[in-house]
Formats: sequence, C-alpha cells, structure tokens
Amino acid sequence: MFYIAIFFQYVAQYMKTRMQYRADLLVEVFSDLLFQAVNLIFILVVFGHTNLLGGWTRDEIIFIYGFFLVPYALFSSFFNIWDFNERYIVKGELDRILTRPIHSLFQIVLERMELESLFGAVTGIAVMIYAGNNLGLGISWTDPFLFFLFVTGGMLVYGGIFVMIACISFWADARTSIMPMMYNIGNYGRYPVDIYDSVIRFVLTWILPFAFVGIYPASYFLGKEEWFLYSFLTPVIGIVFFGISILTWNSGVKRYRGAGN
Amino acid sequence: MKDAITVRNLKKEFKAYSSRSGLKGAFRDLLTRNYKIVPAVNNISFQVKQGEMVGYIGENGAGKSTTIKMLTGILTPTSGEVIVNGMNPHKDREKFVSTIGVVFGQRSQLWWDIAVQESFRLLKKVYKVSDEQYDSHMAHVIRTLDIEPLLDKPVRKLSLGQRMRCELAAALIHNPPLLFLDEPTIGLDVLVKLKIREFLKEINEKYNTTILLTTHDLSDIEALCERVVMLDEGKIIYDGALKSLKEKWGEGKEIEFKFLEEVTLNDLNRITASSEVKWEKDEKEAIFTAFAEDNDELISLLIAKVVADLKVKDINIKETSTEEIIRNIYDRGIS
Repeated sequence: MFYIAIFFQYVAQYMKTRMQYRADLLVEVFSDLLFQAVNLIFILVVFGHTNLLGGWTRDEIIFIYGFFLVPYALFSSFFNIWDFNERYIVKGELDRILTRPIHSLFQIVLERMELESLFGAVTGIAVMIYAGNNLGLGISWTDPFLFFLFVTGGMLVYGGIFVMIACISFWADARTSIMPMMYNIGNYGRYPVDIYDSVIRFVLTWILPFAFVGIYPASYFLGKEEWFLYSFLTPVIGIVFFGISILTWNSGVKRYRGAGN
Repeated sequence: MKDAITVRNLKKEFKAYSSRSGLKGAFRDLLTRNYKIVPAVNNISFQVKQGEMVGYIGENGAGKSTTIKMLTGILTPTSGEVIVNGMNPHKDREKFVSTIGVVFGQRSQLWWDIAVQESFRLLKKVYKVSDEQYDSHMAHVIRTLDIEPLLDKPVRKLSLGQRMRCELAAALIHNPPLLFLDEPTIGLDVLVKLKIREFLKEINEKYNTTILLTTHDLSDIEALCERVVMLDEGKIIYDGALKSLKEKWGEGKEIEFKFLEEVTLNDLNRITASSEVKWEKDEKEAIFTAFAEDNDELISLLIAKVVADLKVKDINIKETSTEEIIRNIYDRGIS
C-alpha cells in the first residue's frame, strides 16, 4: 500500500517537473512516435514484396508488432536502467538510494521513470486495432483481462532481463556493452519465432524469453491454437524472471562497494 | 544511557586489482587477475552514547567514509559487529535508515530539478512523517537555517551554501535521533559554517540528537565535539576528549614579544635565566618568541620578569592549535 502511495507521489512530481519543460516534452513524444513509425514502415516495406512470412500474413505480423509495443512501452517507462552502472555505481548515487527506507530497485524505478514512453502503448493499441480489423478478429469479454495479464507478464520479462544485466555491475566494475546488444535481441521477440532456427527459438523462449513479450501472447489473440500453451505461460515466465532478477539484485546490493569520494 | 552506536572489531576489506604491464600482461590478466586485499577499516571498536557529538577525523583514505558507510548500512562489513540504534544497519536496512539522517557533503539528497519544498514534501512521504510532526519540527528547522526564501527555488539554482543548508534540513525531516555528517562544511564560507554549527548545537540540545561528524575542517570539530575519534590507515589511533588530546600532544605555549628598544637574545636569556624558557628571534620583524611549558604560573612569572626589565610594545600568547597537534601526530605517528 505504502509503495503504491509513494508511486503516485513520484508520478505527480514527475508530471509537475515535465510541465515546466513543455518544449522538451513535445520533442520527446514526437521522437518516440517517429521511431515507431519507422519500425512500422519497415514491416510494411518487407511485406510490400511478400504477403507471407513463414506462414504468417502481413496483418498478423503487424498485429504482433502492435502488441509488442504495449509491454515495451511499459518497460521503457519504468525500467530506465540502461545507464545503471555509470549513474549509480560509478558516480556512487546508489549511496543516496541506500540511505532511504524504500527498496533500492523500486527507488531507481521511481527516479528514472519516463512516462512519455507510455504513448508507445497508445500507438501499439492503435496498430492492433487496425490489424485486427483487417483480420476480422472479434473481442470477447475475457480479452481485456488476458491482455492486461499478458502485457504485465511481457513487461516483467523485459524488466527482469534488464535488471539482471544491470546487476552485473555489482560483481564486475568494468563497463559492458551487453545492454545495447540486449535491446537488439529484444526486438527479435516481435517476429514469429518459427521463422528462426530451433536454437534461436530455444534461446528466445527459455534463456532470454523475449518471445513472451511479442509473439507468444499475441498468438492467443490471433487464435493460433498451437501457441496457446506458450501464451498462458507469459505471466508465469514474467513472474519467474522478475523474481530471479530481484533476488539477484538483493544479493548484488550486499556486494556494493561504493564509490570513493 | 543507551548507546547509539556500538562497533566491535569492525573490518572492511576491499580487493584491489592490479594489472600487469604490456600486452602479454593484459592477456594474463584475462585468466588470472592479480589482486591484493586491502583493509580499509581494520578491526576498530568504539561506542557512541545517545546525545554525544563525536568528531571522526583522519587523513584522506584513512577509512572515515568507509566506516560511515558501514554505520549507515550502505556497505556490508567484512567482519565484526555494528549495532546502530539497536539494529544491524545492513540487515534491517530499510527499517534502520528511517532512524538516521545522513548528509554527504559532496552528494545531494535533493532532486535537482524541483523546488526545495517539493523535495521536502516527497521526502516527508518517503519517511512517513505526519503533517503535525512535520509542521512543528520543520518550521523550527527552516527558521533556524534561514532557508524560508529558498523553498520555492529549484535546487540547481542554489549556491553551495544555500544548498548545504537545505540538505541539512532534508536530512532532518523525520527528526532522526542519529545524524551522520560526512564533510558537511566542505567549501562553505565562514558565515554559513557558523550558522550550520550553531544549528547542530541547537538540535543536539533540543532533541538530544547524536551527531557523528567527519570533516577536514578541525575548527568544526573544535566548535562542536567534545570527543574525537582519530583514524589512521584503518585503525583508531586516538579516542577520547578533544581537551586531553590537546594536553597530551600540545607543545606548551608560545609568547611573542615586540620591544620598543633594541634587545638581544642574550639579554632575554639573562633575564629569564631562572625559568626553563627557550627564546627565538624572528630577524625580519624583530619578534622574540619564548617557548614555555603550558603552565599558568610559569608563564605569568615569565611575562612579569620581561616586562619589569624591558619596554614592551606588544605581547601575544599562542596555544598550539588542534591542527598543529594533529599534523604532529600524523607526522610522527603515535607512540
């Protein structure tokens, strides 16, 4: 309860600060939308040459892309930890975090949130509606709940993986280039995994389960029954990965060495 | 009285990696890295009572910050026992930190972009401080630190002195019984320093707040602390009253004379032959300095003798400053 109240306190503060820099806000929202437009155009260009990709139609792929945008938007709003090593370990900002009575990871989530990324979710839903319309998909009453569940699961998968990568900084001081690489790998999750070979598919399912952010949960709404089992695994995988990442984080914090003055 | 801080055989070791030279060395480093274990804090023990103000001093790298970080739960000790406010700082960290206030002089607690009062408001929620508590307590803090006019300004627009006063107020929002100050007056001008010292004394008296202070500026310690703990290479080399440190290590008094007439060292030695005094002459300014033991009788006798025989223009009695004492200790090492 306390954490929820604090969360909204920070959100309110965030909005107040953002309102002060209106121009900034506009630029950011605009560049966000532009980035997504480029991605979408890429998909459209690919399907300009072919209407089928490994048995998936153009609209299905667009639908998956739209779905992927939603958990990804949530992830990038709340898990801006790509510069964790530099900002918190090297500069020693974690010192300050650790002297406050709130879980350290939660504080970082609060401090680093970027709510304008949430616009990505709006785009995502719009894309899904467009593609869903073309495919003639219906909506049943369970769909919104499952959508919520799958989106949360997807966000937790993403969050879990990136928190674990951030945790490397607790053990090794050297900067790594794993973060940007992970952002790239993350993008594979929004294409149907059966177009990849089995090794990649295995990795994307069980090791770096990015497939649970896009293709698996989206398959449910597309009515692809052969993937239903995976669709319903989404929240489970999310909780497991995020849980492991928190445990890793907690033991990492104990090893924190601090930065010299 | 209950102890606010109990530290027993506390130790913190860091692994320091050293890299080999050359390309060949770099390859070997990939496989096995050379490291030594460096003790930053080596088996220290001390206690601080509730309501005490303790100065924690030492050279750079003596282990001051490391100790403070272990006491505040930021670092996990390698071995030894730390009990602060009846808790183990790194184990019950989240519960523990709401009973302490921390100011790191070189790091800001406040949010850079938002107004000071917004930072306060957020911290008030973080520390679950009720409105009544906040109003009664913070009104006083804000008044004493004179930060009322700064409250609606964003932190990035404040000067260092203004920011530091706000930092101090922020650390006290939850009125903690224990306050850690790591270099709180670094880079501040004299007026702000005085204000901060006065304020610290006041909250110490009013709320019986325990204060542990590290600083390079010994005048802070002299003004505030009765007790000092001195650290060198991770070990405590002195723990006790500031006064007895002075008595033990002080080197007597220096009395400077300026005379109206021509005087030689021989004259002075003759006049004071009966007491144990060493005279020195500063050629340039014609100042004669007598070094004598710190003994009031002896000094007044000495002055009386000199004044009786010679016409004096100026007299100046100097005590060895704490700074000098500490420099002496570090130079010679404690024996």
